Amino acid sequence: MNLILVGASHHSASVDLRERIDFSRRGVPEGLSVLGELVGIAEVVVLSTCNRSEIYAACENPTQSRKTLISFMCSYHDVPESKLTPHLYTRHDNDAVRHLFRTASGLDSLVVGEPQILGQVKDAYTTASQRDYTGALLNRLFHWSFAAGKRVRSETGIGEGAVSISYAAISLAKKIFGSLKGLRALLVGAGEMAELTATHLRSQDVQQILVASRTPARAAMLAAKVAGESVPWERLETELSEADIVVTATGSAQPIVTRQHIETATKPRRDRPLFIMDIGLPRDVDPSSGDLEQVFLYNIDDLRAIVSENMTRRQSQVDHGERLVEEEVERFAAWLRSRAAIPTVVALRSRFESIRQSEVNRVKSKLAATSSSSHERIEEIIEEVTHRIVEKLLLQPTEQLKSVTGEEMIATYTDTVNRLFNLTEEPDETDTDEAFPPTQPLVAPPRTR
Amino acid sequence: MNSLPLVLYLISSGAYAVHFARQGKLAGRIATVILVLGVLTHTFVIGMQTMQVGHFPFVGTTGAVSAFVFLLALAYLYTEMMTDERAMGVFVVPLMALLQVIPAATNSVAERPPVLDSPWFSVHVLALLFAYASFALACVVGVTYVLLFKELKAKHLGFFYARLPSLKVLDLMNSRAVAVGWVFLTLGLVVGAVWLLQVQPNTLDPRVQAMSLLDPKIFIVLLCWVVYSFALYARRSIGWSGRRAALLSAFGFAVLLLNFVPVGYFVTQSHNFY
Repeated sequence: MNLILVGASHHSASVDLRERIDFSRRGVPEGLSVLGELVGIAEVVVLSTCNRSEIYAACENPTQSRKTLISFMCSYHDVPESKLTPHLYTRHDNDAVRHLFRTASGLDSLVVGEPQILGQVKDAYTTASQRDYTGALLNRLFHWSFAAGKRVRSETGIGEGAVSISYAAISLAKKIFGSLKGLRALLVGAGEMAELTATHLRSQDVQQILVASRTPARAAMLAAKVAGESVPWERLETELSEADIVVTATGSAQPIVTRQHIETATKPRRDRPLFIMDIGLPRDVDPSSGDLEQVFLYNIDDLRAIVSENMTRRQSQVDHGERLVEEEVERFAAWLRSRAAIPTVVALRSRFESIRQSEVNRVKSKLAATSSSSHERIEEIIEEVTHRIVEKLLLQPTEQLKSVTGEEMIATYTDTVNRLFNLTEEPDETDTDEAFPPTQPLVAPPRTR
Repeated sequence: MNSLPLVLYLISSGAYAVHFARQGKLAGRIATVILVLGVLTHTFVIGMQTMQVGHFPFVGTTGAVSAFVFLLALAYLYTEMMTDERAMGVFVVPLMALLQVIPAATNSVAERPPVLDSPWFSVHVLALLFAYASFALACVVGVTYVLLFKELKAKHLGFFYARLPSLKVLDLMNSRAVAVGWVFLTLGLVVGAVWLLQVQPNTLDPRVQAMSLLDPKIFIVLLCWVVYSFALYARRSIGWSGRRAALLSAFGFAVLLLNFVPVGYFVTQSHNFY
């Protein structure tokens, strides 16, 4: 069984094209049901996120399956082959394994180390496995990728440090307040950035989100979106003294919060910290307010600097992550190689079993003709039948070995047989029944010159 | 005998440093296990010394330092268990190792003079030592608060930002440690004073006669009581928490430490029972 991956990601395709081949538009299960019907595809998983659409499949004929999957991609998403094919990549076996492990680790992500992708890989696998589209190969591969993803994250720092402005702000707030539960947040301005930050704050269970804007309608709209409360612009100063977290993003040409405002607001609160995140441009808060005791003022540039520092730190961990992925790929490849012997082992078992069965049938008919008291006759039959089994089992291998010519071939064969049956090892005395003499090599090793 | 705990505290300090620098969980666990071994060995040493002299070996500054280190280790381990936070170990355990050098180098146990033969003595010493251990923790937590505070204010989020718990948690730990320390400090001082009033008229021992508010050791410990009482008052009534409270607790402990080692050994006329 071979492994094949066909797909496109932010590395190979524009957002326009990625949108067109996004499986989630029609639902991944529907895509899986069509893929499951394709000739030559034994197992399949579809990984579809906003940055990638990939099909992982197990197949017998990779060349044929590649063509099948590419034409499926084009026809299913209704994109001409000439347009899509140049943006699709194909990976086989170890390269496909490496690709999946890098993806699950976040090494292949647009923002290196982003945490969502591992969950998305898990979801993709669960969707396919629940509908029986996966088998031994993809089950093992995907479970391995979860472990590899976790390992890379825990042994390197690629997932550490906030890499988006709003998330950096939340991390900062947590470093000051511990948990954000029960805190009051005040949004000044009702723009997109304020909304994004408010959504993050809401997910952290802040007690109350207040929105103040010069345009009351916009304040009310944002408040409704983030389950907050709008407050009149005139109450800004009062609310400042009550709030723990203040986010300003107004787009006003002049600072709307002066140092005087903050001094007045913080006086009654004593040493209770106030975290101000000024993401307006030009700035909304007088920068000198940051000098006040227990006032932590961060503007958009400060937050950007934190983000870029974290990005650099993550990037420096990429090489380490790649090395870990390579180790995991090697280990998976070793498992895959060990699987290659399975059909031979199955055939061998079945050959031996058929010999045993034919002898059992023979002996049954002989026993039927023998009276039950004739122990001597039974012993004779056992002797005969076991002897015949050994003869039959050894007949083919012995003839094959005798027919081998050429010193190298003889050496290879004898070495293989010796290894397979462990013939050169000294037998373990404790296990050896005295009735059986120590085994001799079936074939003498060739003389070395 | 005190060298064995010293060695274990030193190794544990190293492991806490590795844990702090690399943020590895394994190094942190190893550090805790070695610290626990150190405390067990220390318990054994104190037990043996008690058998040897027939009373708790707190007499004299050397014995007191050893007991202080032991109590600090217990207080620290308790905090670590409660908060699941190992970042403080790198500050506390080296302090313990440093102080443990004194009993390890001296290695003798002071006999208890008859004048100290009273149950009040044990209560007085144990309460004060426990208070000192709490203040030591408060100081360490306070110092880390200031370090993190500075990083946050300077907007250079680096070493301490990645390793320390939040300002709020540090402030809470500091306030609790100061409160617990203050209760024990007050208890120790009251017991000491009551006991002194009982003993002073009946003995001619010059050390007992020298016990007065002007004796450096007594004066400084009272000064500490004033500092920590102010810290508690300031937190409740003036609203001094955070950095100011942290600095105050660090200052208080610096004064205490001064009393503990130089004054205890060289200056005091009263508390020199060794």
